[in-house]
Amino acid sequence: MKSKHRSYLGGVLLIVVLVLSACSGGGAPAADVPPGELTGSLTVLDWAGYDAPDFWIDFQNTYPNVTVNFEIGASDADIYGKMKAGDQADIFHPYTGWLQFYVDEGLVEEIDTSKLSNWDKVPDSFKAIGQIDGKQYFIPWDWGFSSILYRTDKIPEGVDSWAALLDPKYAGHISMWDDGPAAVTVSTYIHGYDETAVTDEQLAAIKDEWIAQRDLNLFYWAGEPELVEGMKSGDVWLAYAWQGAYALLLGEGVPVAYANPKEGRNSWVGVYGIRKGTENYDLALKFLDAKLGEATGNNVVNLFYYGHSNQDVMNGITDETLKQAFSIDDPNILETTNFTPNLTAEQRDAWTAMWAEVKAAP
Amino acid sequence: MSSVESSSPKSTGFGGGAPKGRRGLGGLDRPATFWFIYLPPLLWLGAFFVLPVLLMAAFSFRPDMRGDLFQPWIPTLDQYASVADTTSYLRLLGISALTALGIALAAVILAYPLAYFLALRAGPRAGFYLILLLVPFWTSFLLRVMAWKIMLGSDGVVNSFLIYIGLIEEPLTALIYNRTAVVLTLIYVWIPFAALPILAALQRIDNSLFEAAADLGARPYHQFMRIALPLSLPGVVASFFMVFIPTIGEYATPLLVGGSRGFLYGNIIQDVFTKAVNWPLGSALSMIMLAATLILVALAVRLVDLRRLFE
Repeated sequence: MKSKHRSYLGGVLLIVVLVLSACSGGGAPAADVPPGELTGSLTVLDWAGYDAPDFWIDFQNTYPNVTVNFEIGASDADIYGKMKAGDQADIFHPYTGWLQFYVDEGLVEEIDTSKLSNWDKVPDSFKAIGQIDGKQYFIPWDWGFSSILYRTDKIPEGVDSWAALLDPKYAGHISMWDDGPAAVTVSTYIHGYDETAVTDEQLAAIKDEWIAQRDLNLFYWAGEPELVEGMKSGDVWLAYAWQGAYALLLGEGVPVAYANPKEGRNSWVGVYGIRKGTENYDLALKFLDAKLGEATGNNVVNLFYYGHSNQDVMNGITDETLKQAFSIDDPNILETTNFTPNLTAEQRDAWTAMWAEVKAAP
Repeated sequence: MSSVESSSPKSTGFGGGAPKGRRGLGGLDRPATFWFIYLPPLLWLGAFFVLPVLLMAAFSFRPDMRGDLFQPWIPTLDQYASVADTTSYLRLLGISALTALGIALAAVILAYPLAYFLALRAGPRAGFYLILLLVPFWTSFLLRVMAWKIMLGSDGVVNSFLIYIGLIEEPLTALIYNRTAVVLTLIYVWIPFAALPILAALQRIDNSLFEAAADLGARPYHQFMRIALPLSLPGVVASFFMVFIPTIGEYATPLLVGGSRGFLYGNIIQDVFTKAVNWPLGSALSMIMLAATLILVALAVRLVDLRRLFE
């Protein structure tokens, strides 16, 4: 009912604006149009859930007459595949690891950060993540950890290493994320390989390791709800997980902990890019600037339990569960975190093929 | 498949089989009418089936995903070579074909009595029972597979019941997340589908054949073996292929109930397309599956001799 009401209101506003602009005789250059009267439309290729107005509330409030359409991508690979195939979305939302190809294949436009009013609130370490070949192609937006999530009642001794995901002790109760590059990453942490320079021999060893792991693994999870359900029911004792699942289970009173493996946690950052050749570049910049806004950021933190790139948002967190989820009170956690490096096209092909072979193995 | 599809009654056929003249659907032989009726489906299939398959065939000879997708490329057999190098893919294709064979046989055998009952025994209530049979179609395929997760899960119906009656203390974990669960689920999913072609075949049998057989002293068993079964074989074959062919490429069910060890060849294709964004390799894997399916169907046609069946 609420949204219906809102769209009705929007319709009235639109008519008022149209009448007003007709009276003024038009001809005013776009730059002079007050935000409330700006019209147009944008298409955003985003992940399911992020299309909810909560996650672009600042833009909606500032530019109520701009229509925002969403297309949904199921994974980084899906979003890249769509953009590569000529999807006409103005804005898209990839994650670290999957950024380089957009630049290599000429699919992304450089960001004019001078037009972003919220850009100063983004720490430099985050800005750097959106830079490729020295240019700011992406703006960082959401971030979080990957680590091992485990049931403290089933594993009272705790988990202190990524190797637990491959430990026969937990046979039948492990759930790995269904993702080849993530499996390679875990193995490089365990063995101390250089993640950016995995050799063919190392990749072969990694493949064998995960083929052996398959007999211990209950199922590979593809979506967070599937994992949360498995952990809640007690079938899964430990899993590769993002902290969203951790916060969700904590909130439901399930006895879980989020490990600090001795090899360090993994961290990922979600970024937004603007499609090269879009006719809505200026509007897209306005959208991304509003994406960095505080109300939007607070919603990311409070509704999805992920971090936001606006430091003011993160400094404002007081909720204990959230503080625990982000390990905000642990000063060492970020220093020992491994940020996901960008894959090359060769690594993408080799690592995903490795994973397919793990699944197909006898 | 075309030979299977021609199992539909001949009366609607066009050209060759139909008697000369301008009978049937008010003059189907007139070109204008012909195009009016057949052009839309032909265009549809051409645009959304033939063209994509051709595109996929072309993509399977692409070296990689780099550059503009619709710029011409120099054809290469790299993708096929890489599949040939990966024996586990071909082995999984074999397993998937065998699994599909088992599922199709089981589904047809279980569907036959259903169809037989509906066609020859249910009497005036057949329509009602048919609707009951079709009730599962009212919900989505995925929902029905999810229901099996609820049935077989460790806190699911089966385990809860067994624990309740005291037969087991700990939930059985072997019920779900393996290939057996995939097979069980798919057989269940396919039974109503498999029953329909058999039902259609049984309904076409002239009732007087049974009466004549009974008059001549044939007992029900012989009536079934000499009349119902042979005359319904085209339906049985159609329903077998209707289950077998889509099951070879099935990927959704293994994802939901197959766990780490229940994957089928379709999962590899899906992964290569959607997780690896490697369309050339995915296309090669798909073309190999298409070829394997066609060969298997051709072999089966040889064995069963469909033409005699449909005469």
